[in-house]
Amino acid sequence: MKIFSSRLFANALLAVSVMLLVAVGAWYVQGDGEAASASLHLTQADWQDADGHGFSAPVPVMNSHDLPSRWQHAALPSALPLAPSLLPSPESAAAGEKAVRTTWIKVPVTGALPAGPLVLYGIRIKTDGTVAAYANGRLAYRTQQRGQLWNSLFTPLWFTLDEHDGAGPLKEILIRVEHAPETPVGLSSLWVGTAEALRGRYYLRQWLQRELPATLSAAFMVVGIFALFVWFRRRHEMRYLLFFNLAAVSFVGHLHYYVSLPIVTDWFAWLTSNALLWLLTVVHLFLRQLHGRPLTWLTWTLVGVTLVASVLSIPALGILPVYPSTSLLVPFMYAVTVLMGVLVCTMGAKASWRRSREGMLLTIGVGVAVLLGMSDWLLHNNVVNPEGWFLGAYTNAVTFAMFGGLMYRRYIDAITEVEQINASLAQRLQAREAELEISHRLLREAALRQTISEERQRLMQDMHDGLGSSLISAIRSVEHGGVSDAKVSQILKDCLDDLKLTIDSMEPVEADLLLLLATLRFRLEPRFEGSNITLVWDVQELPTLAWLEPSSALHILRIVQESIANILRHTRADRIRVSTARDEDGGGVSVTIEDNGQGFDIGKALDSAAGRGLHNQQRRAKAVDGRVSWSSDAGGTRFTLWLPLMRKIAAV
Amino acid sequence: MPSISDIPALPAIHVAIVEDDPGFRDALSKAVQASPDMQLASMAGTRAEGLAMLQGPPADVLLVDLGLPDGSGIDVIVAAVAQWPSCNIMVSTTFGDETHVMRSIEAGAAGYLLKDSSPAKMIDEIRSLASGGSPISPIIARQVLARFRGAAATTAPAAPAPGTASADQVAILSVREKEVLDYITRGFTAQEIAKLMQLSPFTVRTFVRRIYSKLKVTSKTEAIYEARTLGLLPD
Repeated sequence: MKIFSSRLFANALLAVSVMLLVAVGAWYVQGDGEAASASLHLTQADWQDADGHGFSAPVPVMNSHDLPSRWQHAALPSALPLAPSLLPSPESAAAGEKAVRTTWIKVPVTGALPAGPLVLYGIRIKTDGTVAAYANGRLAYRTQQRGQLWNSLFTPLWFTLDEHDGAGPLKEILIRVEHAPETPVGLSSLWVGTAEALRGRYYLRQWLQRELPATLSAAFMVVGIFALFVWFRRRHEMRYLLFFNLAAVSFVGHLHYYVSLPIVTDWFAWLTSNALLWLLTVVHLFLRQLHGRPLTWLTWTLVGVTLVASVLSIPALGILPVYPSTSLLVPFMYAVTVLMGVLVCTMGAKASWRRSREGMLLTIGVGVAVLLGMSDWLLHNNVVNPEGWFLGAYTNAVTFAMFGGLMYRRYIDAITEVEQINASLAQRLQAREAELEISHRLLREAALRQTISEERQRLMQDMHDGLGSSLISAIRSVEHGGVSDAKVSQILKDCLDDLKLTIDSMEPVEADLLLLLATLRFRLEPRFEGSNITLVWDVQELPTLAWLEPSSALHILRIVQESIANILRHTRADRIRVSTARDEDGGGVSVTIEDNGQGFDIGKALDSAAGRGLHNQQRRAKAVDGRVSWSSDAGGTRFTLWLPLMRKIAAV
Repeated sequence: MPSISDIPALPAIHVAIVEDDPGFRDALSKAVQASPDMQLASMAGTRAEGLAMLQGPPADVLLVDLGLPDGSGIDVIVAAVAQWPSCNIMVSTTFGDETHVMRSIEAGAAGYLLKDSSPAKMIDEIRSLASGGSPISPIIARQVLARFRGAAATTAPAAPAPGTASADQVAILSVREKEVLDYITRGFTAQEIAKLMQLSPFTVRTFVRRIYSKLKVTSKTEAIYEARTLGLLPD
């Protein structure tokens, strides 16, 4: 449900976005419903040439009747044929002024014109000189007043025909074009009508020929700058720098489609005329990386041609005066570039075939760009009529699309790769966790086995020393006779007490020494019940002994038990006081057992065989890093067991 | 030593025994029979016999051994709680170790008897049990405290207001009961505690009995809580 709704939302978002763009585009280029009826398409013209020297300003009023009547007919659009010069050339050279030919084009306006202010729209006038237009003999429009501009060919003709009192309806458009005798004049068909009727046509032309390529060019440049910043952080990835380079060269190479600067021989002209060759070279180098074939001779040829063209056309040298005489050298430069493009494309395709999909993509792009460039060449050379499209402006867009496509593929691949790496990382992590779990389990099992084995050893040692030997002596006593039943019973009771002590040592005392002592007292209670001995229980809370576990608990139980047993066995005490205390320095705790018996000679007792019990106490205390001490006089004995709060090494 | 003339007004304590060790059974029955205020009601040697015995008239004190040849004495205790609700159940044990005693108390026993006790001591324990007292050892006291602490932790938010504590809900130790248990874990005897808390020694023993019955409830609550946690019971 959630997935469904989110997909629905995504689809809706996509649809809305696309529709928005389509609507804006439709609105921008829409022609009125009555566009056809509100405009007039002018396709017939008459023309004539007149040769002279130098450019001159057009007169304000000019009637076609005042011109010689040697009109020739032409159907628009048309590239007017080039007539041989009427002036002898040495003369013009001597005059120091360039020969200039003035071509007059007369377009009669026949048919019903719509009412209201009129505009004239034409796709282009193709010439390298000045242009002036007269409506009904009156100067109405001037352009290229200082000669051809870089963007002239791509800018449609669009001007308002002012109404003048008494001028009457529009009868004739007269166009005056000054140009070099050797460059032909091209004129598209013209439209006259209301601005509303023609605007759609004009905007579409303007947008597709100039604005869209300009926008794409700027976008390419922006993405190129983005790539540059990527490269700043990832210097080892040359392709980002190469991409920026492509964007920059491409941007510069296409600037001439948009700038309204006069065409003269300068650095801009040099950049414009050579940028395409540079672009081709860079693309070729890129292609080489993709398909991995050196293509040595092509590389050298390309680099050679590019270098030669670039050097020869340097404005300071002026060896190849490409501009402003565009009509001669531009077609040649275009031809060279197109030839190089075809070469790069063909060889690239051959090298990339079944080797590199990206190489093929790029090659196709180069092919498309070459075709687009050829359309420019065809237009420049008047092979097609002057209403055609200069599609060369779109080579930039094609380059952008190709390299954008490459980048897009890499981006998507990188994301997929990261996702796969993450997935496999998670998988590996899981596997590692499983391994760790297994090894932990093995370790735990080993530790458990170790603990069990140690505990078994401890118990066996204990049974061997305590219970086992007591039982043996009981058996011996019974077998040899001479021992009273009471005595045997006592030995067996001792055995049971011993066993109880062992069991108590395994009870969960939670590191509480006091609880351990309490348990011992609880066990010993029956012994005191029948006697007349008073047990004074004078204990206080003790800190936890973290090291207190079954084996150390048993040692402590036996030490204290032995001490009390000694009092019961060897003294005539009637009062035993058990107390606990904590060291003032906090280093340990002590258990003190005092009696009011007759006391004994500690030194002698320790030396004698009977002192075995005392030695056992010492040994056991040492085993838990503690110590025992006695002080005795006629008034009684004081036994102290001292235990550390912390043990240096955990007991094993 | 109480003389016969001290007790005749009181009805005799009826003692039933489930014990497979004939030696101990004999010693025990002899001690009971020797006691003027007690009467041996019935005896059983196995779990099956013990369960069958429960069909008969109830005794005042039932002594159960845990290790029976055909099963656990715990079953007999559980059955006795249901069938002889007024009976005081006592488990006989060699060591009085925590595992056995706690399990018995949770099943419904009110006390335990150490098998190596003197006959006099045994009779004292039976008498004490019959009159509503219970024995306890320091280790058991510590375990009981821990059990209640655990139960309090698991059911604390649902703890009812004092005085309204219903047996079905959660049992909480009173301050005095806790105090008794604390003293026991520190090694003080019932007599000493009685003096310290200004009670009679017998009252201390009845405190323990009350604690045991609360523990029974708590362990039931805990079992329910655990069963819920494990998803065996609906919430």
